[in-house]
Amino acid sequence: MNILLMLLPISLLLLGLAIAAFAWAVRKGQFDDLDTPALDILDDAPPRSSAPPTSTPREGDDGA
Amino acid sequence: MDAPVVSCHHCGEPVAGGHAATADGPAFCCEGCAAAAAWIEGADLGSYYRLRSANANRVQADRLDLASWDRTELLDEHSRAVDGGREIVLLTDGMRCAACAWLIDRALAREAGVLDTTANAVTGRIRIAWDPARTTLSALLHRLAMLGYRPYLATGDAREQARLSDRRRWLLRLGVAGLGSLQAMMLAEALYLDVNATMPVPTRDMFRWLTFLVSTPVVFYSGWPFLAGMARELRARYLGMDTLIAGSTLLAYFASLVETIRGGTHVWYDAAVMFVFLLLAARMLEQRARNVATAQVDALARAQPVFATREREDGTRESVPPSALRIGDTVCVAAGDGVPADGVLLDQDADFEEALLTGESRPVRRRAGETVYAGTTCRERPARLRATATGNATRLSQLAELVDRAQGHRPPLARVADRVGRRFVVSLLVLAVCVYVGWRIYQPERAFEVTLALLVISCPCALSLSVPAVLAAAHGALARCGVLATRPEALDTLARATDMVFDKTGTLSDGRPARVAVDVFNGLDADAAARIAAALEKDSGHPIAAAFADVDARATAQGVVAHPGSGVEGEVDGRRWHLGRADWAAGREDDGGLWLGDGTHGVARFILSERPRDDAAVALDALRTQGLQLHLASGDSEGAVQRLAHALGIAAPLARQSPEDKLARVRQLQQEGRIVAMVGDGLNDAPVLAGADVSIAMGEGAPLAQQAADLVATGPSLLRIADAVRVARLARKLVKQNLAWSAGYNLLAVPLAAAGLVTPWIAALGMAVSSLVVTVNALRLARDDRRLAA
Repeated sequence: MNILLMLLPISLLLLGLAIAAFAWAVRKGQFDDLDTPALDILDDAPPRSSAPPTSTPREGDDGA
Repeated sequence: MDAPVVSCHHCGEPVAGGHAATADGPAFCCEGCAAAAAWIEGADLGSYYRLRSANANRVQADRLDLASWDRTELLDEHSRAVDGGREIVLLTDGMRCAACAWLIDRALAREAGVLDTTANAVTGRIRIAWDPARTTLSALLHRLAMLGYRPYLATGDAREQARLSDRRRWLLRLGVAGLGSLQAMMLAEALYLDVNATMPVPTRDMFRWLTFLVSTPVVFYSGWPFLAGMARELRARYLGMDTLIAGSTLLAYFASLVETIRGGTHVWYDAAVMFVFLLLAARMLEQRARNVATAQVDALARAQPVFATREREDGTRESVPPSALRIGDTVCVAAGDGVPADGVLLDQDADFEEALLTGESRPVRRRAGETVYAGTTCRERPARLRATATGNATRLSQLAELVDRAQGHRPPLARVADRVGRRFVVSLLVLAVCVYVGWRIYQPERAFEVTLALLVISCPCALSLSVPAVLAAAHGALARCGVLATRPEALDTLARATDMVFDKTGTLSDGRPARVAVDVFNGLDADAAARIAAALEKDSGHPIAAAFADVDARATAQGVVAHPGSGVEGEVDGRRWHLGRADWAAGREDDGGLWLGDGTHGVARFILSERPRDDAAVALDALRTQGLQLHLASGDSEGAVQRLAHALGIAAPLARQSPEDKLARVRQLQQEGRIVAMVGDGLNDAPVLAGADVSIAMGEGAPLAQQAADLVATGPSLLRIADAVRVARLARKLVKQNLAWSAGYNLLAVPLAAAGLVTPWIAALGMAVSSLVVTVNALRLARDDRRLAA
């Protein structure tokens, strides 16, 4: 049963990681709009050509 | 009008004459739509037409004046600084499906100076981050307006941010509850499988302490809304649902902790965390379904005017944002504009439409010296007022706050569970004390174990889950069949409805009256008459306007005033015209035609005809089989109403009904003890919709009517109403079943537990099974709706 002593901390660690990843995704606004992004893959057109210059990094939604 | 109806390529409205004819290209109803479509094709965004699931808004060709959006005062209040620019959240009324949001995202991304955009079709909100040095906000908004999305101010940056972070906090709570209960269940499983207690005690205790560790954040972080609710209820000396939920969670949690410490036979951490997770999920689903319905309508209703006109000391005028108004300022309001602040009316009497505040759509006359409120609309003639309250102090803001609070309240159905729950908790606590004392005397060493088993097995989980689970499933089912409930009590009342009153215009008919014939008198030719009528109806939003949509009005009507039930009045090319029923417009006996005249003499008579909607007969039959009595009360003429009622088999239709008549009819039915559901879509219907027990607005109707309604049907199909009634009735039945089940379960289980016949192990199982039965029963609704008609 000694293997439990290793497996249990690992499972707790994974739990912590999962919660941290979820919290990150929520803060970044990944779940704010669940409808529109689904359409993007249906569009054959090339991605937006006039992307804003790289000097202005795209700001996430994390100012809440 | 037997010619095939050509629909506008952009907005789907019928096209006749005008801009229809390019050899084989798509047809457009107006220049606005044609320009929008040309831009969309030119920008290589044509996929929009393929992706969309609903038609676009008709584009107003008139260029809006959006310059006031660039004022620093407005930007200070409604936007905030971000890296490299500013960011604003605004509302729009034209986003009907996800493809609209997609189009807005792409269109704005092509504008120079735009850093980032997000459009959300569910909430009707657009977030734009832009660089003020490279572009102005109004330029971006012009692009939106050109595509048919008119911008409105949202509720202010602070509130928008609060709304967003509130939603995120709920999501996070749900996520923690989900992941945490998953782990707790896994660890609990190991303990459950150890049936013969062969596990070494240290291993068992380690498992228990680990379960304790993972369930603690679930109970206290995810379950915080329930704990806070309990604290609130206890402070108000009231035992409600939150007390029930938080109480049983804490009970299972602390009882397990006690058992862990003293090395007892069983722990129930898994029950506590599963309970929190299921309830959170049910609450979120229900809220989301309701948010879809309210987010847009509600926010638009609260949208403030972008600017206000302030009169300076010397009598000249300046336009300022409403937030810059101070108490004591003199404010000028043009006819048709919203009032920006509460104030005392100066000078002369004026009429105000106060539907937003009172639900009464008829304009109310206010005398000089009386108070008028922000959010009302000035009608017929301009007014001046002295501001007495601005910003958050206005009555409108206070009402909006009230609405927020009311939306957090639970529907009557949930209140039933609340009442039952309260008595249940009190009697259970008394019983537990009695049982403990009894066993203490009889067999002291079993007293704690038996009492614990009693409390666990009677855990009111099933009771408190029974209503939210059904509501969540029902709102989902309704949304899938195309009906959105905006008020929480709507479902319950709809299920009990006995009578359904239809307003004819646009509800049963296809809403597109067509001119069948024009008779002219006094030398005016038919085209000129149609042009005047078109000018008068242009911005009225009344369904009759559709009959003149194909006419190029050329002239614009000045000072247009709508008289509900009679017609419209206004000035075209310097002459005053009445358009409406004969006795009002032409001074002669009402003959069912639409007359154009000056109030005493008629110059033209239009015969309009409407056909019943394709699905009207089927839908009405479905409603009749559900046992509803159908009524028809229309503002239209006797002949037209009789024809339609005959075609659809409705007995005793009422014609020529003013809004007051319709309301009186509804009140009369209510006095006979009937529960009335009203289906309508016109401006005239707003008071009746508000007066009926439950009301349904058709999605294409006037915004005001939608706002007064309890349910909004998102599409034109009448079959949805029959579906909605079905879902509502099923939901009511399921709630009753669930309540009966949880009551029956407790009646059986509590005596057994009190008698000491139940071990804590069986108690935990019984608790889980009872909650599961209730949830599965509610999910029948979700499965059932697939069999409904589309």
